[in-house]
Amino acid sequence: MTSDTAAGRPPRHFHVNLQALGIFIAAAAIFAIFGVLNSNFLTLGNLRDVAVSACVNALIGIGLTFVIITGGIDLSVGSIASFTGIVTANMMVNQGVSPVPALIAGLVLGFLAGVVNGLLITVLKLPPFIATLGTMSVYQGLAYVVTSGTPVYNVPQPFVLMLNSYIGGVPIVVVVVIVVALLAWLLLRRTVFGQNVIATGGSEETAWLSGVRVSRVKILVYGLSGTLAALAGLVVVARISAAQSEAGSPYLLTAIAAAVIGGANLMGGEGRIAGTLVGALILGALTNGLTLLNVPSFYEQIVTGLVVLIAVAIDQGSRGWPSLRGRRNQAEAAQLTPGVDGTTTDRPAEPAVGSRASE
Amino acid sequence: MTVTAARGGQGQPAVGQPLLEISHVAKSFPGVRALDDVSFTLRHGEVLTLAGENGAGKSTLLGILGGSLSPDEGSVTVDGVRRDEFSPRRALAEGVMIAHQEPAIVPQLTVEQNLLLGKTATERRAAAAAVDGALADVAAMGFPLDRRQRLTRMSPAQRHALTIAKAFAFGAKVVALDEPTTSMLEHNVEAVLDRVRHLAAERGIGVIFVSHKMPEVMAVSDRVVVLRDGRVGYESPIAQTSTDEIVRRMVGRELLSFRRQHPVSSHAPVVFTATGVTRPDSPVSNDLSVRAGEVVGIAGLVGSGRTEFLRALVHADPGCGGRLTLDGEVVRIGSPNGSRDAGIAFIPEDRKKQGLALQMPAYANIALTAAPDLVGSGPFTSPRRQIAVSEEVGRSLALKPANVRLKARQYSGGNQQKLVIAKWLRRGSRVFLFDEPTKGVDVGGKAEIYGLIDQLAAAGNAVVVVSSDLPEIISLSDRVLVMRNGRFISEHVGDDINEHSLVASAMGIAKGTA
Repeated sequence: MTSDTAAGRPPRHFHVNLQALGIFIAAAAIFAIFGVLNSNFLTLGNLRDVAVSACVNALIGIGLTFVIITGGIDLSVGSIASFTGIVTANMMVNQGVSPVPALIAGLVLGFLAGVVNGLLITVLKLPPFIATLGTMSVYQGLAYVVTSGTPVYNVPQPFVLMLNSYIGGVPIVVVVVIVVALLAWLLLRRTVFGQNVIATGGSEETAWLSGVRVSRVKILVYGLSGTLAALAGLVVVARISAAQSEAGSPYLLTAIAAAVIGGANLMGGEGRIAGTLVGALILGALTNGLTLLNVPSFYEQIVTGLVVLIAVAIDQGSRGWPSLRGRRNQAEAAQLTPGVDGTTTDRPAEPAVGSRASE
Repeated sequence: MTVTAARGGQGQPAVGQPLLEISHVAKSFPGVRALDDVSFTLRHGEVLTLAGENGAGKSTLLGILGGSLSPDEGSVTVDGVRRDEFSPRRALAEGVMIAHQEPAIVPQLTVEQNLLLGKTATERRAAAAAVDGALADVAAMGFPLDRRQRLTRMSPAQRHALTIAKAFAFGAKVVALDEPTTSMLEHNVEAVLDRVRHLAAERGIGVIFVSHKMPEVMAVSDRVVVLRDGRVGYESPIAQTSTDEIVRRMVGRELLSFRRQHPVSSHAPVVFTATGVTRPDSPVSNDLSVRAGEVVGIAGLVGSGRTEFLRALVHADPGCGGRLTLDGEVVRIGSPNGSRDAGIAFIPEDRKKQGLALQMPAYANIALTAAPDLVGSGPFTSPRRQIAVSEEVGRSLALKPANVRLKARQYSGGNQQKLVIAKWLRRGSRVFLFDEPTKGVDVGGKAEIYGLIDQLAAAGNAVVVVSSDLPEIISLSDRVLVMRNGRFISEHVGDDINEHSLVASAMGIAKGTA
């Protein structure tokens, strides 16, 4: 068995790297194409715009990446962004709360909204799709209720500066996203909690029987998703200096798209923070680049959809070989090609009753 | 084949003529040669019992018969026509019908819709007589059903009866019934078997009957074929044999050469006790106590409740009860998290779904039980440290390949099982619960796992092994408990740990029958 795995290993590693690299190569290609088609695209100022425009999708997408890794989905992120955005703006404008406490309150509200999702999924055992479909509507309704559907204008300048200004030419919001992404990566890859998240999505039963408190993991993951959706909602408020009841809803599908383009597997167990960031950047580049090329905005949706489909198809394709091999392992040993998976050891001449036992 | 031909219109085939010929059939799966040169003949109008222990190859043979598996070697001939393609469609077209242990029905559909499931529109128009016939058969079995009734609220017994009737209804030539009576009460069983015999004789259908219930086997069949380790070990007309003989032929095989290096010493203290262990889905309560260094085997038929008992011990399912003590101290647990922290290790049956997260690297799987050695004490953890410690654990288990960065799915069955065991070795566990520890593991891997179980016991731990592999139970255990219908019904030590005694007990045909 040693020989076959020695032979099987190097291509596997090669394959993993390709899969992780693929998304970066695709992003580079898209940027290069737009650069060739329009000389303004690759200017520093425009790239900065692309980065800024990617931030909302990146924030929501990072939270969704965690959710998707557990094998779930959170459809309420757009509503949470709208809801927390308008509550926070309302607190500052109409109730005189100063920006920092209002911001913290908004994030806590987002966390709680996410925890409610988590409780519905773990305690009431609702499928994530159904649970968050329901709360998507509830939170959107609450966003209307706060101000009876009217927008909140004239958000205080200090708040706007916090999330929508530049330090030495660097947009603060980009820095915020980078910090969040680094923390998210640490949480996912360097903590016990992160490993439990991945294990829960890979095989919930395995995690449960290994002593992982699966329900707690899920509740916290939905809480995290709600928190990051809230942060995204506040970024949107700062960007337009106003809060609208529906400001967050367009970001639901694009944020899912960012995570999926980045390699998150809706079946659970797989997803990458860096991938989601690049996914968000690709979507931002498409919007920006197509606008520069004067393509009517209707086409932008078509292109975005096609990019998602192509990205997932490529991802599935690169997965296809090993999964085919795995299926074949379980099937007939007799049909395995020699040298693959140790046919000699796997085909004892005698029925396997352990007759060749230890001395 | 037309459906109208199905009911009586086919001309009487001569009862006693060869109908199905299984000839030199062999089939291997990775690690197991499930069937090894199996040949026998089924005649028109005959009821033939296919007997054998779990894993003897019955399911594989039924799979081949039903076309869902294709044999590596050998042939299947139905009514003189050799089958050249193995697919469920092909088998159905030949009139080979399998009624599986799990009824293949859609509960949301009505009785009639279920009978017609899978039939084309043309076939449906011609099927009225067949449906009427099936309903009459079900009624004769003691389950009068309305054709418009949905199956959602029907009992398992009613579903089984319907499945059996359906197998006979549409032009069947060969009908295989896999444990058809498990869910039924005694008087129903009698009616069902009567009807089966009647249908076989009336239409010259050959019936293959698979059951662990020896009285039924003796009552219904004309002949018995015993499969053992993938071969036909015995074949006899039922009139010329006995229950004892059949059981002896099922288990009589060469003994395993594995011997425990460290059998439990006679004065070892009790480490682990469980009293009043209950499950929400059963009224039964069981007790267990294991001494330091003791291996307790739990034998029983598949479905007898052994896995459920282990799961109840670690509270893997909600609503389980029982009082556990470890080294004399009462431990309170409410979930696998609690049992893990109390020092109870559970190595489940299905390592791919319950033991491992296959897409994660081996080291992350080993770290999943959060042994402080591997993950540290705080919230942060270092993959480098997990890899280093995992490699150490892997070396002590002779894990191959030794590179623990590989994903769990890249290991062979035996080495995957080592990974599942490795998860518990740095937890300081005192109790090890194994469920089918060598299922799908090849011979060499089995020997290694047996050695490991022996070592775990020798270190003073309490070990419990559930297994359907009798030689395994016999060679590993200091003491064997037999479970039947969710309850421990007998305890075996010393010379009483032998295949005949355990099988007899598990089937309820010996003293102490529940």
